Amino acid sequence: MSSRRSRQSSSGGPRITDDQIIQLVSKLQQLLPGTHIQRSNKASASKVLQETCNYVRSLHREVDDLSDRLSQLLSTIDADSPEASIIRSLIM
Amino acid sequence: DKKQINKAFNSILILLNSFFHSFIFYCYSFVASQHHHHHHFISFFHFYTSHGYITFNLLISSRIEGNIYKMHTSSSNLKREFLKKWVRGLQICCSSKKEMDLQERKKKIKLCADIALASAKNATTSWSNALISEAKKDGENAILVDNLVGPESYFEPTKTAHRTTGNCHRRVRSKKILKKSCNVGQRFKKKMGPPRFDLATYVAKRLVKKRTQVLKRLVPGGEAMDEFSLIKEALDYILSLRVQVDVMRSFANATELLNQSHVSSIVD
Repeated sequence: MSSRRSRQSSSGGPRITDDQIIQLVSKLQQLLPGTHIQRSNKASASKVLQETCNYVRSLHREVDDLSDRLSQLLSTIDADSPEASIIRSLIM
Repeated sequence: DKKQINKAFNSILILLNSFFHSFIFYCYSFVASQHHHHHHFISFFHFYTSHGYITFNLLISSRIEGNIYKMHTSSSNLKREFLKKWVRGLQICCSSKKEMDLQERKKKIKLCADIALASAKNATTSWSNALISEAKKDGENAILVDNLVGPESYFEPTKTAHRTTGNCHRRVRSKKILKKSCNVGQRFKKKMGPPRFDLATYVAKRLVKKRTQVLKRLVPGGEAMDEFSLIKEALDYILSLRVQVDVMRSFANATELLNQSHVSSIVD
């Protein structure tokens, strides 16, 4: 990651140490999907950030696809079925 | 640090446990020797040490599992809150007219899901506040947002705004200081000879900066955060997005199952 000089670009009050940032980055790394064996200490910060961005984008896409699927399902509910009335009473 | 405190606490527990057990053991051995009940003493000793071992293990493991349990319940709490608010939002959105085209309905579902997720956080994170204030800008969503989020006084938008502008000022000022110190360093270095240019560090810094910019655009409200808060918020945002995906997927699967069972019953 960056050098060990004091990072003056962080918030001015409590000085954020490099160690804290490294801890955060490692926590982030644990959340990301992927082989846990490889991602012990080798992943650099930029790689973790890149994986994070990809993961967030894929999660957004999943939400989008699920909304698509739900909208199709809800529009094709047959009006007179008992199951449909359950769903309808729940959300419509 | 939390882990060190946990370790220290656990070792204190071990110590206390052993003291307590040895004390009881001593008392009992004293009493037993008085009454010459040696055979009872041995069986009691076995029982007691095994009992002590079990309680000791339970104490330690409950402390460890306590943390895991806390994490699990917090995500299941979020799931419950999100589902409640999402369903309420869908009732508000989709009750008006039943004839909506697919795209419109999809947008409403997604909007309800996002606002429900953000409001389920109860103003504890800054990404959720940013998402809600972004949604409020659109006049059509005002009713929905107010219904899901609650009264206006609940989360103080002015405070967060002050904090971010404060950060911005500090960042700008500290960047100026950094630039000045860099310039001074360079002027000094020119006299000393060719500067030692570390290509690896330079490339690494540029990459980190580039990726940070991308992440800022992905996390709601990320543009106004410094790098430290950005990573913290991204952590929480990812966990919450997972909750959203899990609940939406389960709901979609359940709806599909209900649909299918109905269709098959008609065919039969």
